[in-house]
Formats: sequence, structure tokens, C-alpha cells
Amino acid sequence: MSFAKRFLFTATALGLAGLLWQVPQAKTVSPEDQKTIEQLELFAEAFSIVRDNYVEETSDNKLIEGAINGALEALDPHSSYAPKEDHAERQKTARREYGGLGIEVTMENELVKVNYVIPNGPADKQGLKRGDFITAVEGENVRGKSLNDAVEGMRGLAGDPINITVLSPDNTRREVVVIRETVSGRAVRHRVEDGIGYIRIETFNHPRLAKDSKAALEDLKAELGGSMKGLIIDVRSNPGGRVDQVVKVTGYFLDGGEVFSSRGREAEDTRRYHAAAGELLPNVPIVVLINSQSASAAEIIAGALQDRGRAMVVGRRSFGKGSVQSIMQMDDGGALRLTTERYFTPSGHSIQGLGIMPDVLVAGRPESKNTKDRFRESDLQNALANPEGLILEENFDEMDFPSEDWPDTEDYQLAKAIELVKSPEFSARLARKNTPLKR
Amino acid sequence: MKYILPTFGALTATALFAFSSLSTPVAAKETSSRSDTFRQLELFADVMARVRNEYVVDVEDSELIGDALNGMLQSLDPHSSYITAEQFKEMQVDTSGEYGGLGMEVTTESGVVKVVAPIDGGPAKEIGIKAGDYITEVDGQSILGVSLSEAVERMRGKPGEPITISIVRGDEDPMEFTMTREIIKPRNTKYEIKDGIGYLRIPQFNEKSAPSMIDAIAALKSDFGGRIPGLILDLRGNPGGLLDQSIKVSSAFLDGGEVVSTRGRKADDTQRYNAQKGELVKGVPLIVLIDGASASASEIVAGAVQDRGRGIVLGMTSFGKGSVQSVIPLRGGRDGALRMTTQRYYTPSGRSIQGTGITPDISVAAIPDDGNGNKRIRESDLPNSIQNELTSEETENSETEITIDFPPEGFNVEDDYQLQKAIALLKDGTYAQTLASLTQG
Repeated sequence: MSFAKRFLFTATALGLAGLLWQVPQAKTVSPEDQKTIEQLELFAEAFSIVRDNYVEETSDNKLIEGAINGALEALDPHSSYAPKEDHAERQKTARREYGGLGIEVTMENELVKVNYVIPNGPADKQGLKRGDFITAVEGENVRGKSLNDAVEGMRGLAGDPINITVLSPDNTRREVVVIRETVSGRAVRHRVEDGIGYIRIETFNHPRLAKDSKAALEDLKAELGGSMKGLIIDVRSNPGGRVDQVVKVTGYFLDGGEVFSSRGREAEDTRRYHAAAGELLPNVPIVVLINSQSASAAEIIAGALQDRGRAMVVGRRSFGKGSVQSIMQMDDGGALRLTTERYFTPSGHSIQGLGIMPDVLVAGRPESKNTKDRFRESDLQNALANPEGLILEENFDEMDFPSEDWPDTEDYQLAKAIELVKSPEFSARLARKNTPLKR
Repeated sequence: MKYILPTFGALTATALFAFSSLSTPVAAKETSSRSDTFRQLELFADVMARVRNEYVVDVEDSELIGDALNGMLQSLDPHSSYITAEQFKEMQVDTSGEYGGLGMEVTTESGVVKVVAPIDGGPAKEIGIKAGDYITEVDGQSILGVSLSEAVERMRGKPGEPITISIVRGDEDPMEFTMTREIIKPRNTKYEIKDGIGYLRIPQFNEKSAPSMIDAIAALKSDFGGRIPGLILDLRGNPGGLLDQSIKVSSAFLDGGEVVSTRGRKADDTQRYNAQKGELVKGVPLIVLIDGASASASEIVAGAVQDRGRGIVLGMTSFGKGSVQSVIPLRGGRDGALRMTTQRYYTPSGRSIQGTGITPDISVAAIPDDGNGNKRIRESDLPNSIQNELTSEETENSETEITIDFPPEGFNVEDDYQLQKAIALLKDGTYAQTLASLTQG
């Protein structure tokens, strides 16, 4: 069959299908719509050319999937399409999630030290305690390994047992078999550091996050006898998450008023999100810690507390993901993830491509090219531009770097945040700090 | 979100409906698979409608469709892509390529641009860029994830303009190379006499390849006083080029007969390309040198010489780009064009070049054994590359049987071990016997 004939054949079949589909009106077509129709026709034409002439048989699904992904990827890095099978596959892998031991660890004296044991987690069930050391994993010494390698060695599939050697502070050594479980980990952690309340929020992607945060804040309040001298909110490397959760959490620190707004293409698509009235910790000085991997919801809380003059922001310029994706179920069971809105801070600036610029720039590592170079949203291929056309650059002359011999295990940014929140000039500095957006 | 659909849904159907004006009756049993196709197109139209109505900024329909077509084609293989109307127009006006380039053939692998081969004398080769290098940045801008055509676009510019690219090679730290864009002139065939043997080097297949080779052969003949005692045709690092030139070049060594055939999806799409009658170097012993960077047209010549028993192929397995792309204009090019793989090359004995490449008769490596069999990136390593019809198992087997002659430890690469071996074979009197045993096998 000649190409022309084959094309006619396909087109005919498509036309027939169109008939079956029954479209009532086609009379009033605006010039705008006419253009779209032409483009869709063009696509259908190209589709049938590929289908009939490619060197191998093609699959319609694959071709369309490639087309949809091609169009979406060109829009921005967060828009995508997941066909039905992908959906199911993802759920399957989710069920075979990596299991952990339910502990949080650090490295001390070349050994893995248990800092926290999740209640009722697998390690807790085997009697591991805070302060224990892990000296070997599956008979292999951890001495000399990096923390990452050591942790990697402890991960595996949920349900698989793991043999670890535990050294207790009283110098007793024992072998323990722990069955790995899927541990969601704590998204919120808190402790008192130097008389200052510290709350770390790992992600906003948890339906109980606001509740957990509130409990943590209440806990801190109780522990410090109601006289908290300062609070650090640590959202470093927090990739974001649920909008409802971040609005609630931000609301604990604001007495009503705007947290952020999201705006679609049309002006009337603007939605404003407000804090609930009543603050949890009125008058307590607050520092928000961010870094280049604080994204989306994490930038919302930092931006709101900064714009509203409620907190000083310390750290590195944040990631700059100021866009909202809507998930739309398609008729074939697949899911379309499409960027529909952008976030704006209360002062009306878009986070997209810019991020939040800290009031006090503090780096986590000593000065080097590597420390300065950070990967952010605007470095992504086809990243959505900032609607105001703004660009923010960190001023490295102003940035506070730890000295060369600063130990890796110590948190320089946190140390600086505590120093700032405790300083007698904190409120004066907060009052006279620069406009949030340094142009 | 459902509320948007009715209006645009109707639009969609109307668009496809327009085809029914071309209607002729269609067999009933075809309808079910056809309506599957329709459902797929409907899904596409739905997604486009959502984007058009709800995406955070206005999007030009034509851009959206262009990107969709590009996505569709690139999902097929790395050599298929969409050409925009502007690009198509440029192609029409300017086929000679009067832009400044770096002189290298590139492809993409998992979204990373990879050097197939730098061209002799081009800025890339001069500065030390090697086949298999990854290009990660152009002038400080990451090109990770960009399409091949976009990456090529970014590397092109005005001749004389400087450009800095970042290269990742193996496990080494990224390296930056700054060079000046040049007009990449078609390189002619070079010739010389090496150790009493005629040596021809074709760096790429452009419109001057065959004519300059014919001149070179004439010159060699007169230098040798009539008869060339032995000839080496060096196609190493030759990324290919024009098909007709590879036929003409092959014609110099073959007295008519098939050089290559191209086959499409249907058996009746087969086209055969024959050599011209009358060989230029009749009876002259011939060795063709290839390596992992010999691609496409180079593989056609090597495959023809090998299959027709005209000479010995020596070196390392070639790249394996045995596919033909056609440029199909959409509405006369007003809406751009599709660059699409429509056919594959087959050697005269019917082997597909795609994926497997040409395996040399005598495997000789350029550099001492590094433990990996000096594995080079080849077409079959590219994601989405079109599979050869052989099963992977068969391919695997033929791969393992090869014994490779490596230069000894500490061998100076400049001394060209492969060329030395070729010259030795032509001079030690075993050529005819070796060729005969290969032809029998």
C-alpha cells in the first residue's frame, strides 16, 4: 500500500471513530479554536506518518506517551504524565519499600552512635538505647567507614533480618538481630539546644505534620518552663509537601494574616492562604534555617515569617521551587501532573526561580568553589521563569563560612543561628533588617 | 476539573472528524484496533486541552505540538526528531553548513551528549576531545537532558567565536576545553606511501570524498610507477556522511555488484545500491582499517569489502549505526518536518549493521589491554537504539569468540599498532592465504 493510501486509511478510521463519538456542534468555532484544531490535525497527520513509516512496528500507546511527555517536559521540569501501569508499578515498589532499623545515628570516634530510637521501632524492640554504639554490621566492622556507607549497609528490604554488634556505654558488647521494618521516620524532631528550642521539620509531606509540630512546640514550651528565649525552625533540605500542613505550621507563629498566595494564569485565579488567629509562642525570637535544598512548602514558611517580620532567616538561598502542580486523572486511568499556579510570599514576590534569600548568609562548609556552587530550580532544564523576571544571587562577600578546620560533625549554620537568636540585639536587628527581597 | 472538557472535547473530536471528509468505507474488523488508536489520540488531545486551559502561563499551540512531536520521535530512537519550520527552512537554504562548529559527530545517551568521533583537523580533535567523551556544559550552561538537536544548536555559532565546553571522561574530574568555532570544511581523502604500501585516509564521507580518493589512487599509481603493491583504506574515526559517496568509494574496489541495501519495515521497501563496473585497483591487496568510531557510511564500505571478499577488515568492531533517516516535510515544510528512521542498512550478504556493527576479520586494538577489551561505546549501548534482528544471545556469542591482538604494554600509541599490523600483513606474504581462508569461512 502506498504511503498516501495508508494515510487515508488511518484518517478514515479516525474519522469513523469520530462519528461514533458523536459530536453535536461544530458550527461556531472561534479563530483561536480553529488554530488549535489545525494543530491537532497536524499532530494526527504526523502520528500516522510515524506509525506507518517508522522502520519497525510502533505501539500507539508508546508514541502517544512519548508525545505527551515531550510536550510536558518542554513546559517545565515538574509537569509529567504517568500512565496507568506506572501508577500500579509505583504502588508495588512502595510496598517493597526499604526497611530501616528505626534509629537515628551519627558518627562518633569512628563508630556509629545511636542518637534516637523510634519508640516501638525494630531497634527499640531489641532493646537498643540512645547512646549505644554500633561497631559492626553483618560482621563487618564499621570503623573507617563514612556515616553514609555505614547507614547504606544497614538498609535493606523490609522483613529482612540484619545482624549488628552493639556496644553499650557500660562497655558490654552484644550481637543483635533486628528485623527491618518500613519506618516512616519522624518528620518532626525537637530538642533543647543551649536553652533554645530547636524544631526540625524534614518534610511537609505528611498529613499529621502540623499536629506533630504543635506537639513538639508544646513539649519545648513545657521543658523550658514557659520561658523560651528563642526558637530555631530548621527546614534545611526540606523538599516541601502539603500546602495545608505548611499553612497550619506557619500559623503557629503568626497571629492571622497572609501566609502566601498562589496565582494561576488569570488574575482571578489568585488564592490567599491565611494563618489562624493566635500565636503559640508570642514574642519568642525565631530564626528559620534554610539551605539550597529547602524547596516549595519549606520556602513558604521561611518567606512568610521573613516578609511578615516575624523571624530572621539564616543559611543559604533556598531552591526556588515556587510552582504548584495539580494532579488530574485522565480517562485512560493515567495521571497528569501539571503546573497550574505559582506561589507568592505575603509581600507579593514569586518564589519561582528565586528562592528565599536569608537575612544572614551562613554556609555549612568552609569556603570553596564546591560550597559556593549549589544546584537549584533555575538550573533545571526548561525551568519556569520568575514572573517578575528577577534574579537573586548570593553575595559571597557577605557570607559567613566556617573556618577550614571546622569539624564536619558540627553544625555551623545551627551554631550561628543559636548565636543570633540569643543575641541581645536580635529584636533590633529584626526590626531594621532589609526589605526581604534584595534586588 | 472535568468541567473544562465539554467544549474542548468537542473541539478534539471535530479536529479528528475533519478527516472523515476523506472517507472511504473501512472494513469492520479494523475498527476495534483503530478505535484504540483513536482513544490514544483522544487522550493526547485531552492532555493538550488541559495544558491549554490550565497551565500556569499561556502556551503557544504550535510550540506544544512541536514539542509533542519531538517527544514522540525521540522515544523511538536517538536519531529521530522533529524539525521546526524555521530549522527546516534553514536546511533548505543552507545545506553546505556555513556555520562555525567544533568538528565532531555527537549523539545522546540517557540525555547526555556523547562524542561519537571528533573529525580530523577540526577544533575538537586538535584540542584533545576524544570519542566517548560526555559533554555536560556549553559556555557554563548545563546541557544535561537537552535534545540532541538543541545541544548541536548551542555548540554552533559564528566562525571565530570562542566556546567553552565541559567534558566528563570516565571517572576523571570534569575538564573544560575552550576553542574557537571554525567552518568545518569538507576534508579530502589523504594519501601517502607508508613502508612501500599505499595508504588512503577518508576522514568523513562528504561530496569530495570519492573524487579526491580517485585522484589519490591515480597519484599513488604514478608514484609506484604503475602498480600499487598493497593498499590500506583507513576509515577509523570516520563518522560517516553521504550514502552515495560510500557507494562511489566502494566502486573503486569492486567490479559492479551490490554494495549495500536499505530495507524498510515492509519487504517491498528494499532498495539495492550497486557498484559501478570497472575496478580502479584490480588485483591490489586491500586492507580496510576500522574502529569503534567508524560509523554509518564507513561501515557500508567495510561491510561491502568484507562480504564481497575483496579485502581484509582489520581493527576493532565498528560503531553500528546502520539506520537511515528520512526527512518528511509536514505540509510542505510549513509545519516543520519529521526526521525519522525509516530504513536499515544491510551488507551484501544480508547482515544488518544496526547495533552490531562490522566485526573485523582480524581484531587489533590501538592501545594496550586495559582489562575491558578496550570496550568502546557503540550504537547498541545507546538507550532506545534499534535492536539488530539477531537475538542478544547470538550477538553476545559472536562477541566472545573474538581474540584481540593488543599492542604490548608500554607501546607508544603514536606508532599506530593497527597500521603496523596491516602493513605487516600486506608485506609478509600471508595476505592472499588469509583472505582466502576468510572467504571460505
